[in-house]
Amino acid sequence: MLKVPYTTGYLSEHFADDDYTTLEGYRRRGGYEAAKKALTQMAPADLIELVKDSGLQGRGGAGFSAGMKWSFMPTDTDKPKYLVCNADESEPGSFKDRILIERGAHQMLEGILIAGWATGAEKTFVYIRGEYAEPARILQRAIDEATEAGLFGASCLGTGFRHEVVMQRGAGAYICGEETGLLESLEGKKGQPRKKPPFPAQYGAFGMPTTVNNVETFSHVPHIVAKGADWFRSLGTEKSPGHTIFGVSGHVARPGLYELPLGTPLSEIVFEHAGGVRGGRKVKGVIPGGMSMPILPASELDVPMANEFLREKKTMLGTGGVMVMDETTCMVRAATVITYFFRDESCGQCTQCREGTGWMNKIALRIERGSGSREDLDLLLDVAGKMEGQTICAFADAAAWPVQGLLRHFREDFEAHVREKKCPFPESFEL
Amino acid sequence: MPTITVDGNELEVEEGRTVLQALDDAGLLMNGVDVPHYCWHPKLSIDGSCRLCQVEIEGMPKLQIACNTPVTDGMVVNTTNDRVQTARQGVMELLLVNHPLDCPICDQAGECKLQDYAYEYGVTQARTQEPRRALKKNVDLGPTIVFDQERCILCRRCVRFCREVPETGELVVQGRGDHSVIETFEGVPLDNDYSMNVADICPVGALTTKDFRFKIRVWFLQDVPGVCTGCARGCNVHLGVANNKVYRYVPRRNDAVNETWICDEGRMSYKRIGAEDRLPRALLRGELGVPEAVSFDDAITAAAQKLLRLREAKGAGAIAGVASAHATNEDLFVFRRLLDALGVEVSGVAVPRGRSDDRLIHAEKAANAAGARALGFGDAGAVAERIRSGAVEGLIVLGHDLLETVGGVEALSGLDTIVALDSHASDLQRVAHVLLPTRVAAEKHGSLTNCDGRVQKVEPAVEPGFDARAEGAVLAELGAALGLPGFDGRFDPFEVSKALAESAPAFAGAALDALGDTGVAPGDPV
Repeated sequence: MLKVPYTTGYLSEHFADDDYTTLEGYRRRGGYEAAKKALTQMAPADLIELVKDSGLQGRGGAGFSAGMKWSFMPTDTDKPKYLVCNADESEPGSFKDRILIERGAHQMLEGILIAGWATGAEKTFVYIRGEYAEPARILQRAIDEATEAGLFGASCLGTGFRHEVVMQRGAGAYICGEETGLLESLEGKKGQPRKKPPFPAQYGAFGMPTTVNNVETFSHVPHIVAKGADWFRSLGTEKSPGHTIFGVSGHVARPGLYELPLGTPLSEIVFEHAGGVRGGRKVKGVIPGGMSMPILPASELDVPMANEFLREKKTMLGTGGVMVMDETTCMVRAATVITYFFRDESCGQCTQCREGTGWMNKIALRIERGSGSREDLDLLLDVAGKMEGQTICAFADAAAWPVQGLLRHFREDFEAHVREKKCPFPESFEL
Repeated sequence: MPTITVDGNELEVEEGRTVLQALDDAGLLMNGVDVPHYCWHPKLSIDGSCRLCQVEIEGMPKLQIACNTPVTDGMVVNTTNDRVQTARQGVMELLLVNHPLDCPICDQAGECKLQDYAYEYGVTQARTQEPRRALKKNVDLGPTIVFDQERCILCRRCVRFCREVPETGELVVQGRGDHSVIETFEGVPLDNDYSMNVADICPVGALTTKDFRFKIRVWFLQDVPGVCTGCARGCNVHLGVANNKVYRYVPRRNDAVNETWICDEGRMSYKRIGAEDRLPRALLRGELGVPEAVSFDDAITAAAQKLLRLREAKGAGAIAGVASAHATNEDLFVFRRLLDALGVEVSGVAVPRGRSDDRLIHAEKAANAAGARALGFGDAGAVAERIRSGAVEGLIVLGHDLLETVGGVEALSGLDTIVALDSHASDLQRVAHVLLPTRVAAEKHGSLTNCDGRVQKVEPAVEPGFDARAEGAVLAELGAALGLPGFDGRFDPFEVSKALAESAPAFAGAALDALGDTGVAPGDPV
């Protein structure tokens, strides 16, 4: 039996219930009623307005208004339009989409159907992380079930609206979670983000107008349609409404997934829901939203988990993957591991990212091994600065920000390495 | 049309162009407005990856890459301020993080954009400590190109070129991040009709041609504008010249002809200029039938005597003129005048033919077939027919392409008189009574008309190391020796081209001193 620590909200309410994973079980709990309402009673433009009004922010990391994104889809085109469901979930520290698929595939599919109607898309490609073999199997079963039942196909719910869902498994690259890298990979090419313009809404999958949304973003949609924008806005914060599923990992007593309103203080997530740091140790730092988001020190954990508050702390919600590090953690080693990851995963197109990720990793490793100098600290920041905001996609930012965050809050760790010419943390693992 | 302002220059720009394209269209790019760039190339798709062309655009918070930012009316662009310069410096530093900095032994030195921009926009001190990437050196990519992976800055121009121009797609990027390398697609060597262009567009010393590498340092080369004479396309080239020797052709941009490309066969045709089989001296067939070296003047005199004797005996109708599609318009205009003055009515041009494609490679394997036709030289088949029938007994022949038309030298062996002007050795030597060495296009002033009617000029890049003369000069002397009216033995291609420009619409505006570097065609805006 799957262990779901918290089923505290509308997204995960039935996740502990195996019956909910079947089409019948999902329908018994009101499933696909929202889609029926949308397709039979609502004009696409009204749906887009509804989602705009709800304030739903994309849950894939960037936090862009989902309704706005839908509205970018052209209405005056002869070309087929597509949706893409981004289920690549490649951000380290993020594992919410997995549970949303494994335990709530129909919830997501219903969101896709509604979004398809709203945007006039005839097909959705679900691009799922290659490592997610079991979720892929579950999802394919759900797609087949829903298609056989007439929810998808030539006439969805008998309305005459055509929409198909096709699943495509990835082959294991972080960058394929970036929406245009995903599109390239989906088309069978090397996963490299596309330059913009053109944007996917003009030139997306196979050159057709395309909107890419995250698994969780779609999963919220049936609830918004069923209960309204006001209901959704009553949850979370004024600017960041609704719930999200936080994935808590690292040095906590109860790592896991926790559905909570946006704006829940990070300290509440770490100490109450996740049970605090294991073994009675102290928190040293917490990455609030997946590895690419800058870390917060223990002193700043009272921050509400919503972008408008996190930005003040020079970080972001990202994917809501909360990574907790206790006092035994060497932050230089963390920097080494993080920069190694980004060095390995950079697609290599843009100069700053290709060369900068490797260079940062070399500098971090040098400091960690005790042969760094005081100047290396500034060099590291300087290289990160050269990478930020200058590339085709946000990967270079994602690689630069965590390094900047670690140096902002844990410069003393770096200086200690330089001073002592070795790593002063005995408990570190082998690199 | 949108108007944009770049560093104070106001530009009217075609709708849908990007900032860098607009600068290129206006002829300002790196020529008044310096926006350094690596991945962008005017004739390839936009990549947007090197990030060097970042500029500041008013109203946009981040710097934007000029290559991929579409112009909008009223856009104000700054390419020189501190912010832009800092960003450029950052990119340059990062590009050099893994570069081997082996300029002293790199064949690209002197025409390397990495070297140039590093001096212009880069930093003087490296801040790296760890070893640079150790990758494959001296990789044989195919029959024409050698690759140095370490020097590569991954601008991917070569990859896009192979996909978009020859459409053969041999090159790919393998791997990710700073372990990306250019490779040939599994088991497919870089081997296509345009492969050597990748060395031209490679901004660094990563891709070099087997033919040119290590032959000479490029700063010793003088770039002389010229035209490839390998086929009727007339691709514009720079002849790389030093020590009175042509070391290479590199394509010269002409959007109306070859864009920025040239085929490999044409590129290698420079070797014909200084070839071993050039005709070094005038030959006269003596009484025993053995060709003997004689002075130019003696050869001209002998040729005139033989021709006059034949005309006297059989009339001008027994003489035919065969033009060469390799000669210039000026040469052929003189030839036309000579034939007319001599009373010769049968003439034609022999045009060698070969393989063609739908890009640059033309089936006519000579540079001036169209010019010859415009001067009234029809197909040489008519001449061949009259030789076969015995109606023609004497020939003034330029070049040896007639051999192909008549099906071999034997067809000419019964002729009474063959006066041949040629640049290279051939079987024609076996039958010609007088053989006069001529210059090739790289050794003279003149114009050539390409397959689309574009008249393009050539100029002397080298001097032959022996007494060879332009066909026009030889024919002017022959005309004088024949005592023809209007011939005083002098040949000035500039004067001839003026007369030519006035004589026929195909040459309107094509006087040599009025011809620009990219030629003129009938449809060109005046």
